[in-house]
Amino acid sequence: MQGVSDYMSGLGQAVAGFLGPDILALVLGLVLVLLFIQVNAMFLVWAERKVAAHIQLRIGPKEVGPFGLLQTIVDGVKLVAKELITPQPVSWLLFVLGPVLVFAPVMVPFVVLPFGPNLQVRDLNVGLLLIFSLGGLNVLAILLGGWASNNKYALLGAIRSVAQNVAYEIPLLLSAMSVVILAGTFSMQGIVEAQEGVWFIFYQPVAGLLYLIGAIAETNRAPFDIPEAESELVAGFHTEYSGMRFALFFLAEYTNMFIVASVATTLFFGGWRGPVADGPWWFLLKVYLLIFGVMWVRWTYPRLRFDQLMNFAWKYMIPIALVNLLLTGLVMKLVGAA
Amino acid sequence: MLRATLTDDTFYLNLGPQHPSTHGVLHLLLRLDGERIVECEPIIGYSHRGHEHMAQQRTLSQFLPNTGRMDYLAALMYNHAYCLAVERACGIAVPPRAEYIRVICAELNRIGSHLLWFGAYLLDLGGITPFLYAFDDREDLLAVLGEITGSRLTYNYCRFGGVARDLNQAFCDGLEAFIPKMRRRLADYHTLVSKNIIFINRTRGIGVVDADTALAAGFSGPCLRASGVDYDVRRAEPYSLYPELDFEIPTGQNGDCFDRFMVRLQEIEQSLRIVEQALERLPEGEVKAPAPQHPTPDPGDYLFTYESARGRVGIYLVSGGGRVPLRMKWQVPSFNNLSVLPSLLPGTLVADTIAILGSIDVVMPEIDR
Amino acid sequence: MEAEASLHELKRLLDDRCGSLSWQEAEPALCGYSHTIWLEVERLRCLARVLADSGLVLEFITAVDRGHGLELVYFFSRPAAGWRLKVALRTAEGQPAPSICDIYPVANWQEREVFDMFGQRFDGHPDLKRILLPADADFHPLRHDFQAGEQHDGDHFDLERD
Repeated sequence: MQGVSDYMSGLGQAVAGFLGPDILALVLGLVLVLLFIQVNAMFLVWAERKVAAHIQLRIGPKEVGPFGLLQTIVDGVKLVAKELITPQPVSWLLFVLGPVLVFAPVMVPFVVLPFGPNLQVRDLNVGLLLIFSLGGLNVLAILLGGWASNNKYALLGAIRSVAQNVAYEIPLLLSAMSVVILAGTFSMQGIVEAQEGVWFIFYQPVAGLLYLIGAIAETNRAPFDIPEAESELVAGFHTEYSGMRFALFFLAEYTNMFIVASVATTLFFGGWRGPVADGPWWFLLKVYLLIFGVMWVRWTYPRLRFDQLMNFAWKYMIPIALVNLLLTGLVMKLVGAA
Repeated sequence: MLRATLTDDTFYLNLGPQHPSTHGVLHLLLRLDGERIVECEPIIGYSHRGHEHMAQQRTLSQFLPNTGRMDYLAALMYNHAYCLAVERACGIAVPPRAEYIRVICAELNRIGSHLLWFGAYLLDLGGITPFLYAFDDREDLLAVLGEITGSRLTYNYCRFGGVARDLNQAFCDGLEAFIPKMRRRLADYHTLVSKNIIFINRTRGIGVVDADTALAAGFSGPCLRASGVDYDVRRAEPYSLYPELDFEIPTGQNGDCFDRFMVRLQEIEQSLRIVEQALERLPEGEVKAPAPQHPTPDPGDYLFTYESARGRVGIYLVSGGGRVPLRMKWQVPSFNNLSVLPSLLPGTLVADTIAILGSIDVVMPEIDR
Repeated sequence: MEAEASLHELKRLLDDRCGSLSWQEAEPALCGYSHTIWLEVERLRCLARVLADSGLVLEFITAVDRGHGLELVYFFSRPAAGWRLKVALRTAEGQPAPSICDIYPVANWQEREVFDMFGQRFDGHPDLKRILLPADADFHPLRHDFQAGEQHDGDHFDLERD
């Protein structure tokens, strides 16, 4: 893996020398990112089905490919081949724009994700801010799709989604801020480097927990999956979407899961650092372990009610996150003074 | 009254007849203010097949297969109830062994019905895994019952004067494995669900029906018992073997969704006890007494009540002296239980609607008949 | 014994408030109820009030059509005591019966069902309309004169209810 990343950066440099370094590295990076998004989503969907199956005393997909690994590809082909149904009373432009807008922002954060010491497309000094600001776009797209569908279930789902995302972004940001205070930088690579020796989860256990809870809510996954609660709202905001448009929502959800888990890994679990042989394998291992945890939660708990969810965010998570942030700032000031 | 043009900010939502959580073809016309319910009108009858009319067109024996098709989750209990009703009206004797077998099957059917309800209810609340656990257990149960009844859902196993066939070894072995497994699984269910804080928050204090309201609304079965009234037809008007069997009637105190949930889980435990006792005391002998091919009650009317998985089933048979009854009314528990919905829902949220509807445990083909 | 005492008490109360009624003994072990009370349409609400005040529950309402007017049947019981009363009354063709759904909420849907199946009208019912059959059905299937399968094949139903 180290060899590969060396090779990639070597290759990148070789071609860059030929065409101009910045543009090429970016293009190459984006191509790799797109590739990675597809493969990652495919793997995650397969993993989700396998995890769910084994938690539920089932076997899960096993017919297509070894261990059913190719099942997702087959499903993907099915989704691509399906007819794109556009119901009569929708507002067409917004309806089509919804899935596109939900998918576009999830690609960009990959630019700043620090997979390894050398494996990062761009180390921006506002990397963390970029991720959070793009995360905010997601909710706009959902609102657009839900509103444009002209369906009451979709509308209710969209309303829920907006309220939920607005509420949960605050503790998410606040808990990330306490890490930023510790690290003294917004750069993703800088945050990982600041965790030399001790991971931030040991300094910031409360923030870490808040971040993980908020992240599950932010990705609309059970027990916080109220925007698409299938037993209440049929399919929530994407009730009217079919075929590839639905697949884009799906792809975005799994990619989002990867992003929030990556951010959690970077902020709290030392990123690509490990006990031995630092490198991208540690990063991926931690990310997928976190995602496994998220899946485990999903297949264990029932769903919260809408108002309970909001109460939880506004009455507990946000005050705790605020106090935590204040204390962090105070301690840092005192330590700095001493 | 629901059709008036809306001038305020409320809107109508048609929940059903095709919806994941209406348990069949129930149609709730909701008037919503945001997510809060202002008005609710249940619209039923989508699966009306005219069973009562059919009963007036054929002899009592010919109607027997219909009984399993009203409440498809309690088909054996409906079989049992119908046979008991006809046997009492026509004076047909049943050999003791047959009655024991019937009680075993009926109680197993009750467990199966409650298991399916448990799974579906958690599915309503967004917990998918318990649903598959419950179906795993129910699968064992259906396999056991299939050994003697030959079917899985719409049983037609009871006969006037007994049952279709005797127990076999596979049934007894299967049951021996099932009972301890079910006990272990019940403990798991309590760990996984009843002690889960999210579940408790979703069901405690939701859909509260106090005892007086429950009685006035015609509740019966676990719904009524959850409100604290220990009314169970098996105790109030004992039939079959129930006077000899030792079992408890679980009740709740608050009449909320959580109590209805707990009462049903406890009933699974009690049904297991009944099955064990019946198996232990199972006498030898015939399983089918001779009975007329088309039993004919004397002119008059006969009401027989039975405790099914959802509550009191009343079979009201009016005979004019012929082989075909003059009238056969099926009073089904879900019908009354559901009718309380319009008064229970206003003021709750959409998510509560699902929690409340699920906790009432309606089976639409039973209501629609 | 207790059951008999409470029944006796009820009898006295009914005689007091609704005038004397005709009680017919029945064989509970055979037909499931202990007494039949036959009464006229006008006294039904009075009787229902007394029964409700004494804590009886209404189990269900149904009707029997023997070809000469309808026979409405109400079953009341006291859950704990284990006895049941059958209250029966006859209505002539087209004669409405009083609704008791303000006294017993459970009667609301029960009366709708009787209306749906037999065409029996109930005066004072807040929303008497079909419940199991489609709103535009033009027949009452449990009536004596109804013949299934003639002109009512179900195809013409407009399932849009309004």
